[in-house]
Amino acid sequence: MKFFGSISLSKKIFITTLAFILLVSGIIALLARWILVSSLTVELEHRGTAIAQSLSDRARSHILDNDIPNLVSLAFDAAYLGERRDLVSYIFITDPEGDLLAHTFTRQFPHELHGIPAPTTETARTVRDMVVAGLPVFDIAVPITEGIYTIGSVHVGLNKRHIENLVAKLRITFLGFISMVIVAVFFISLRIANYITMPIAKLTRISDELSRGNFDISVDLEGSDDEWKPQECPAYLNTDLPCWHFDQASSVGELDETQAANLRTCRQCRFYRKVPGDEVQQLANSFRNMVWSIKLYRRRLRESEEKYRSLFVSGPDPIVVVDAHTFEILDANPRAEDVYGYTREELSRIPYTALDPDFASQCLVRIDAMTEQGNSCVYCSKLIHYRKDGVPIYVNLHACPISYKNRQALIIASADVTEMIEKDAQLIQASKMKTLGEMSAGIAHELNQPLNAIKMGSDFLTMLSEEDTPVTPTQLRPITSEISQQVDRATDIINTLRAFGRKADMIREHLNVNDSIRGVLKIVGHQLSLAGIETSLELAEPLPPILAHDNRIQQVLFNLVTNARDAIAKAPAPPEDGHRITLRTLVRDDKVLVQVQDTGVGIPESVRGKIFEPFFTTKETGQGMGLGLSISYGIVKDYGGDIRIESEPGRGTLFELFFPAARKAIGAMK
Amino acid sequence: MTKILVIDDERPTLGMFHLFLEKYGYEVLTAENGQEGLDIYETEKPPIILTDIKMPGMDGIQVLSRIKEVNPLAEVIVITGHGDMDLAIRALNLDATDFINKPIKKEELDAALQRAEERIRLAQNQEDEVRVQTQGQIMVIDVRGNVTSRSEAALLDAYRQAQGKGSGILLRFSENASINGAGIAILTQLLLDCRAKEIPTAVTGLSENFRRVFGIVGLATLTEVFNSEDEAIRSLNA
Repeated sequence: MKFFGSISLSKKIFITTLAFILLVSGIIALLARWILVSSLTVELEHRGTAIAQSLSDRARSHILDNDIPNLVSLAFDAAYLGERRDLVSYIFITDPEGDLLAHTFTRQFPHELHGIPAPTTETARTVRDMVVAGLPVFDIAVPITEGIYTIGSVHVGLNKRHIENLVAKLRITFLGFISMVIVAVFFISLRIANYITMPIAKLTRISDELSRGNFDISVDLEGSDDEWKPQECPAYLNTDLPCWHFDQASSVGELDETQAANLRTCRQCRFYRKVPGDEVQQLANSFRNMVWSIKLYRRRLRESEEKYRSLFVSGPDPIVVVDAHTFEILDANPRAEDVYGYTREELSRIPYTALDPDFASQCLVRIDAMTEQGNSCVYCSKLIHYRKDGVPIYVNLHACPISYKNRQALIIASADVTEMIEKDAQLIQASKMKTLGEMSAGIAHELNQPLNAIKMGSDFLTMLSEEDTPVTPTQLRPITSEISQQVDRATDIINTLRAFGRKADMIREHLNVNDSIRGVLKIVGHQLSLAGIETSLELAEPLPPILAHDNRIQQVLFNLVTNARDAIAKAPAPPEDGHRITLRTLVRDDKVLVQVQDTGVGIPESVRGKIFEPFFTTKETGQGMGLGLSISYGIVKDYGGDIRIESEPGRGTLFELFFPAARKAIGAMK
Repeated sequence: MTKILVIDDERPTLGMFHLFLEKYGYEVLTAENGQEGLDIYETEKPPIILTDIKMPGMDGIQVLSRIKEVNPLAEVIVITGHGDMDLAIRALNLDATDFINKPIKKEELDAALQRAEERIRLAQNQEDEVRVQTQGQIMVIDVRGNVTSRSEAALLDAYRQAQGKGSGILLRFSENASINGAGIAILTQLLLDCRAKEIPTAVTGLSENFRRVFGIVGLATLTEVFNSEDEAIRSLNA
């Protein structure tokens, strides 16, 4: 059965047809033979019996007369009369005891025939199949009766050869006929098998070719018409045409109305055609449609692939494909090689985290969060990446999860914004220098105080020494200790200024905002009190650190505090308990909150939306550039924070800065 | 012992003043803010007051004007930040005796104190603040004490005399002389007139502080300021 399963369909058809015909022919042959042979034998027996009976009738008188010579001639006459010569082999006549009376043998009477029991009236006749003198014969014996007595018997030997000759003739005729039938059936079944299986074999061959990717083979099958020219289909040359049955069926629901209106179907499709014909032809036609369809889809796919590939390759920004779990770099465009300084092979050997150590902590967590929200792509700004030579660069990156070669991967496009960040830093620095300039009068005053005390102390000592007055320890001690303290005070101010004026490093530090606030107050606190403004500090202790730069945060605070001061200066009348700037820190929902509240004029509703815009200022021309708040806003946004304003004209303003608290885990990873 | 009141919000500075002024033989009173200073002034009436200008709450200018309201003759020396001439001139306009810069140099402090003492002495002796005398062809106007609106008559008188003689005018300031806002205005007018009438003028004897004030208010462009009297006379005679 297994063998049968593995042979081809045409052979199956051929073999089964042939076998069936052979079987039927065989059965017919056997049946015919059996019927013919048996009826022939019976007929011959009848004839033999008839000969024997007629002989026994005629021989009766000769036996009664004991006329042997007539009996012998009678036997010969009967044996060689006409065509009986071929049929009758011998005839002999015996007496009731079985003794031979006459026979037709020209040679000696064969001994096989001795002692054959004679038939009686009861048995009427006996038929015996035997071999006489090497020849097969049917021995038919009939009794010769006289009244109720049996007076002898006649044996007629029918030549079996004769019968066999007849049978053989019949057989040859049959075999010839059957052979002809078989040959005919052989060819017919071969034709049928081929007719059915040829297109299937061809389809199989074409399918195999298609599977190997060879789409250039001809798909012409037998019975295909020449009029079918898929090249004439408008979609053949323009694969963007939305004329595909499948496309329309699948995407109509997703398209909006205007796009759906653009869908069109050719009135008479040149491509999908039904041809009249039998099932095999229809199958072939469908198959051909399918192949062309696949061909066109393939081309469409290739065009799309080429389009996106060229986008990937020629993109101005580095794009890398990264395994989502192992961070192995699976693919990278040439720009990535340029920007990061690695070759392709090197990139494939290093993990993505070598370029971007903070990716997992700063960006991936957000991808996970976004995926939960159903929005898969994430935008991370101002991450520090490292080139091969160790030079850090700033990038903004866009990471989207994709499936790449059956793996979960991320496609990460990063834009090098180092230059922009540097410009930004320069702008921030410039604005800081401007702040420093604005503060210089106050700083000078602040520095003058300790210098004054030191100067007076040393002048006093000089005076005493010039007068040659002995200095008592009680005089000396307060002076020296005061001088030392005042030098410390001056140093402290200078250090704060230097820290403030320094350009910020790339790496953010863990910063306690309270320290920054105290640093700011060290410089401007006295100024504020000179302007009649009280400062109150309400700092939460302990305060979780934030990831930021001290001097930038100070810059923001300076800006807010000086704005508050200016707002107070513009206020017509102080509230009952005097003007006040309140600096407050607190923790709210994992966020560090810094509040700067003043009792100044407040910000009118109409202006509130604009105050973070660059070059927007409410101050008179020449008083301010209008950059302070916009830069502050940029700085706070950089740290992932936010600024909020609450203000009531005439009642003061509350600026709130929110910063995400630095996670200890991230700190530990560094 | 002369009483002296020092008002400054800087405690270290107050301490140092205490040492100095005590050494100079004053009875030192100190106050840490304007209001406290005024209160002490009310009770103690010190003839000399040193006050910082920049102070939280009531500032030095306010203290000065309040004291001058109570006693126009009080000698108030203001302490300004280094080079803060605007405030210094504002103080002078309010009849401050003098100003000293922070950080305070001993010499400046000494000079200011001396000037104040001298003026107290002049006021007590009721001496003339402005005197006119001739020295050859040159009219010499001696200025002692304070050039204020009260000095206007004497100055104009001297100017008329000099004009009559058609010779140069030498303004000779004494060590303790000081000029307030009104005085500056009178001097400006006078010097402008002289220039219009082509009368040569010269100034001498100005202290360092007032030289700076002359420079800032523009008087230095109207006349020439000399260090020594001889040079000034030579220039006028030339």
